[in-house]
Amino acid sequence: MKKIVLVGKPNSGKSLLFNQLTGLRQKVANYPGVTVELKTGRFEQFELVDYPGAYSLSSLSRDEEIAVQKLQEAMQLPDTALVICNLDATRLESSLVFGLQVQALAKQQQKSVVFALNMADELQRFGHQLDTEALSKALGSPVFAISAKTLLGISEFRQAVLELAELAQPPIPSIDHGDEKALRALSRSLSRQFGISASIVLKNQNRIDAFMLNSVTGGLAFLLVMFLLFQSIFTLAAPLMDGVESGIAGLAQWVTGYIGEGRTSDFLNDAIFGGIGSFLVFVPQIMMLTLIIGLLEDSGYLARAALICHRPLSYFGLSGRSFIPYLSGHACAIPAIMAARTIESPRKRLITMMTIPLMACSARLPVYALLIAVLIPEQSYLGGLVNLQGIAFFGLYLMGIVIALLVSFMLSTFVIKDDAKSDMPFILELPNYRFPHWKPLVVRVLASAKSFVYRSGPVIFAVTVLIWLLGYFPTDAGGLQNSYLGQVGHFIEPIFSPLGLDWRYGVAILMSFLAREVFVGALGTLFGIDGADENIAGLAANIQADGLAFGTGFGLLLFYVVALQCVATVATIRAETGSNRIAVGLVIGYGLLAYLLAFLAANLL
Amino acid sequence: MSIQTLWDAPKRATVRVTELVAGLNPLVVNRLQEMGLEPGQLLECFGRGPFNGPMVVQIQDCVYTLEQHIAQQILITPQP
Ligand SMILES: Nc1nc2c(ncn2[C@@H]2O[C@H](COP(=O)(O)OP(=O)(O)OP(=O)(O)O)[C@@H](O)[C@H]2O)c(=O)[nH]1
Ligand SMILES: [Mg+2]
Repeated sequence: MKKIVLVGKPNSGKSLLFNQLTGLRQKVANYPGVTVELKTGRFEQFELVDYPGAYSLSSLSRDEEIAVQKLQEAMQLPDTALVICNLDATRLESSLVFGLQVQALAKQQQKSVVFALNMADELQRFGHQLDTEALSKALGSPVFAISAKTLLGISEFRQAVLELAELAQPPIPSIDHGDEKALRALSRSLSRQFGISASIVLKNQNRIDAFMLNSVTGGLAFLLVMFLLFQSIFTLAAPLMDGVESGIAGLAQWVTGYIGEGRTSDFLNDAIFGGIGSFLVFVPQIMMLTLIIGLLEDSGYLARAALICHRPLSYFGLSGRSFIPYLSGHACAIPAIMAARTIESPRKRLITMMTIPLMACSARLPVYALLIAVLIPEQSYLGGLVNLQGIAFFGLYLMGIVIALLVSFMLSTFVIKDDAKSDMPFILELPNYRFPHWKPLVVRVLASAKSFVYRSGPVIFAVTVLIWLLGYFPTDAGGLQNSYLGQVGHFIEPIFSPLGLDWRYGVAILMSFLAREVFVGALGTLFGIDGADENIAGLAANIQADGLAFGTGFGLLLFYVVALQCVATVATIRAETGSNRIAVGLVIGYGLLAYLLAFLAANLL
Repeated sequence: MSIQTLWDAPKRATVRVTELVAGLNPLVVNRLQEMGLEPGQLLECFGRGPFNGPMVVQIQDCVYTLEQHIAQQILITPQP
């Protein structure tokens, strides 16, 4: 299939344009470096390829390197029918440098180029008229003012792109770019002639930054944002979680009442409602987390947060750019490890990737929430503003971050001692503040719930059913302790008894190496079988009734904070570092550390 | 007029780039030039970020943050 490639400066709206042309839903967010790998989609009879953003053909970071390398390859392929060069119309000068470089390369390879002046809606808002005809004459390639957001000018653009890409002999750029210096001067003079004045575009941004980056107010604002972020995941989701929980309990009661006592009802109660239900309860929290991270990503604040963190993080051998992967690691480690590609320095990138698994990803949420509900009393202060369980949550998140920083420090001082001087520097563009684009955000929040259920659902279903079968039978032996599962459980118990945990927890922990959230489902089933005809109203209540010492429970939490129990994460680390040793080393290292911490907590607290 | 490094540039001031100190990685110099940090260009300087953080400067139509190590390699003269 013939290809159309879509390249341009970071954060210029390429992916949003890609989504509009292909109908796909690639990630769009308001900071440079969102797209870190090539993404392809179908655009009519063509294949459209969305590239990571790049400032220049001479790349500094891994994502840029990928963009540039793949672009150079594409330019040589006969299949490449057209190059769309996406420019931020409000920042012509900085987008034209790369734009002109791409155009020069295309000219050399006899490829055709179209310029898309994206964000034309903002130009319109500022009342600036851009003479596209004159600009396209000056550039020697067609220019279209469009908005990927409001769809201004998109239909003409679409039409023109399809026509150009179909031509047997498409027009080759005609202007002469000269050397690097002349190219920079050309970009400067064109933007002076056609672009909008920077002081108009940057006025609002600079006014907000005067507060957000001020040494006093900026620091406070950052701490407040981080606190609210983690506190609200718990507090805002709590009512929704209660709703889901009572909904499931009600459904369980209705169904079992309808069927009547017996084996089927036992199965439904223990495995389905007890196992799967106790994990569905956490879907609202995952949605809340996605919503809040999404709001932050769209606002433009993340680049500021990265800036603010740069100095503190550099003491630990990390970069300010490590901040965004760390933050998104709280949703899921896999995209976060990919996002580390934007980190300029290879060694900082490696350290970041190795410590991302310590961020409290959403698969840990169910485990944390369950154990907090067991260990920490429900209490609020300041009229419900501060919640004790919410603070415990915050503490766990913080613990993951603190351990990650300590590990980073150790790695950068003792293990990865590459020459720090040859490192690439921290240079980051601060994007405009924007109001979140609510529609994609809603879609994203729903998608996060869906993917959580679809990803974990089948595993949890399989595990809970298996555990139920093994734990329920033989029925004449006298309960869970003597079931098939009980026999296996007693065999593995010695591994976990130093941590103060009996075999039921041992089984749940081992099962959770498939996926962390399985822990809750497995435990839910086990306590369901055990608790005879008890209502499944709350697994937490069942555990409390069963008795779990604080030190032991806390140790269990620590275990989950540290242990690397996710096959997909290990595979991603392996692929991104190209090293088996690192991947396996991390699993073993974090596993031993987790066990040690759990042991200490269980025996000292 | 006094010459100083961008790292020590006054807050909220317009400054003119006079020189990029030799000794920086050529890749980085190239990038800085592409960003518009060429001798003679005017910059808007917003000062350092919180926690004595990286320098924040407006170069033409973009606001960037540059870490200390880089900002110290850029010589400027403050403009009235
Ligand atoms: N107002 C306005 N905002 C836009 C437009 N196109 C994109 N945006 C916003 O610009 C930001 C960046 O969009 P992306 O599509 O992620 O940019 P990108 O070029 O793919 O960025 P990288 O993948 O980081 O290179 C997002 O906040 C978008 O909502 C537009 O036409 N008008
Ligand atoms: Mg993108």
